[in-house]
Amino acid sequence: MRTQYGTRLAEALESCRPVPPDKPNILKTLLAVQAGLGYVPTSDLPQIAQVLGVTDAQVAGVLSYYSDLRTQPSSRHLIRVCRGESCTANHGLRVLLAIQDHVCVAVGGSTQAERFTVEQMSCAGNCAVSPTVIVDDEMYGRVVPSQVAALLERYE
Amino acid sequence: MVRLYLANDTSSRAAGAGRLADAWSERPEIQLIRTSSRGAFFLEPMVERDMLNGREAWFNVSPNDLPRIVAGVGGTPVAEIPFLQQQTRFTFANFGITEPLAIDEYQTGGGLKGLAAAQGLSPEAIVEELRLSRLRGRGGAAFPVWKKWQVAQQARAEQKYVVANADEGDAGTYCDRMIMEGDPFRLIEGMLICARAIGATRGFIYCRYEYPAAAQTMRFAIQKAREADLLDCDDDPFDLEVVVGAGSYVCGEETALLESLEGRRGVVLAKPPYPAESGLYGKPTVVSNVLTFATIPNILANGGAWHASLGTEGSCGTMALQLGGRVKQPGLVEVPFGLTLRDVLDRFGGGMIPGSRFKAVQVGGPLGSLFPESQLDMPICYDAFAKAGAILGHGGIVVYDDQTDMVELARHFMAFTADESCGKCTPCRVGSVRGREILERIQRGQGTAEDLILLADLGETMKATSLCALGGRAPYPVLTAMEHFPDEFRNKLSAFSRQQ
Repeated sequence: MRTQYGTRLAEALESCRPVPPDKPNILKTLLAVQAGLGYVPTSDLPQIAQVLGVTDAQVAGVLSYYSDLRTQPSSRHLIRVCRGESCTANHGLRVLLAIQDHVCVAVGGSTQAERFTVEQMSCAGNCAVSPTVIVDDEMYGRVVPSQVAALLERYE
Repeated sequence: MVRLYLANDTSSRAAGAGRLADAWSERPEIQLIRTSSRGAFFLEPMVERDMLNGREAWFNVSPNDLPRIVAGVGGTPVAEIPFLQQQTRFTFANFGITEPLAIDEYQTGGGLKGLAAAQGLSPEAIVEELRLSRLRGRGGAAFPVWKKWQVAQQARAEQKYVVANADEGDAGTYCDRMIMEGDPFRLIEGMLICARAIGATRGFIYCRYEYPAAAQTMRFAIQKAREADLLDCDDDPFDLEVVVGAGSYVCGEETALLESLEGRRGVVLAKPPYPAESGLYGKPTVVSNVLTFATIPNILANGGAWHASLGTEGSCGTMALQLGGRVKQPGLVEVPFGLTLRDVLDRFGGGMIPGSRFKAVQVGGPLGSLFPESQLDMPICYDAFAKAGAILGHGGIVVYDDQTDMVELARHFMAFTADESCGKCTPCRVGSVRGREILERIQRGQGTAEDLILLADLGETMKATSLCALGGRAPYPVLTAMEHFPDEFRNKLSAFSRQQ
């Protein structure tokens, strides 16, 4: 398990190793690490910094700045509820509450057995088919609270 | 076998287009062509087919509707859909018709004519054509595009860059996503014209993390354009790449975007120097919004004067308005500048969702002002909006109904700014947090009349002293909510304060 993790990290870092004259790109590297591992473990910061030839602090600064970079693994399924204006106008909050009730966890939290993590997101750009809920890579539009149970049933 | 057309953009899929495609995948009697969406999202999932008099459409289709569609029963001619019929589509002319990644279809629809025209012009003549067109940046700042290009063109540097700002973070906007998913070659063509005009050999499309399908479509389109030998700038290869952000609203501001593109924290920098003089890696860089680049091919193909003849005097051309919120017919509306807000909401929005009553409309995303019923006769153009202290922004229009709590909405906007502030300047970093705290105090019933004065004062300070538009515009929705719905704020003050 640990070796597989190490390989994936090494692969991600290798793909972003700066080739002169290109300069090291911290954000691109962190996104590659996240694509490989599902998150960016803070314990690996020194290794990332070393490959890029930058300081640990520079990497930590970028990691903490961007909300879509995560330092914890999420559950098997990530539920994101859009908090954009069109979703707000179309009662997206009611959908969020229904989801929280259904899976018994608040925003930012993960359910028992790591089935779901619930998050809010900034506008998903699906405003004409709002309110919007995204589970993993699947986007759902015009969601009403009564659909929530059936919608989440599909994700084990 | 019947050819059916079904949109494949993110919103159409969210409305159920993907479920239709899955349900019908094994049906031998049909061939399903996945196109871009027409933008009439209230009708999605919408299925079209060729009939004797052109395309007909079936609206809000469910899998069981297939026999009806195959029999050709109950369709509506697309040309007779009022929502589409009343639009003036130039930038979005191909939408719903072509397959996004079919370069030959793009060309059949008039694509690459602008690039061909540009290749017959000197760089100076391209900029002159843009000056004549009077095109202003569509991302929100409305800066004359030709000026930016001219500065970058005249700068002396061994490397220059073209950057498309695809960090479409304004809530209520989705036209850039539609362009990238639905007509990606139009963006590429616009960027190639810019590259030729300023002498750039590298380009980037900075796409937000929330748009994975747009980033993927752009990557495929770039690959296809490369295979078709389109990616060059005056016989030098033009290197074009998609870079994905990581969820920071302020990265839509050009200096923050360039910082992020270099891999750093997306923090706003003081201007000057402007990116056109010193941008990415300190080199001259044109940063423009996706919609701006996508408007340019038609300008070069039809001439700057053609573009200047559309719209109003100070706002030429068409604008892609994006309707959302509590209207009956949300979707993309491309019209020349000059229609009033009321026109747009009535004619295209189709009025309110049954059972809800209009309360306010917000134009220009989370930094845009709120308008009550009494201000709906405002013409949609840069000048009228600027005069009213409002912005057109990126064309997002969100309608709120009478169930909306304006104090909560104001808190929502301040909380948004507090979350998204890059932290560089104090008015935005601290002001947004204090603003949110005041509104939370009012919500808890602990606010006083002084809090309202303080909030107004704080808003004026943020407007006057913030480094970029995030802090500078964040007070507008809050202050306009207070201006037009003062009772809602007053009624939430503490009992003691209300008696005074």
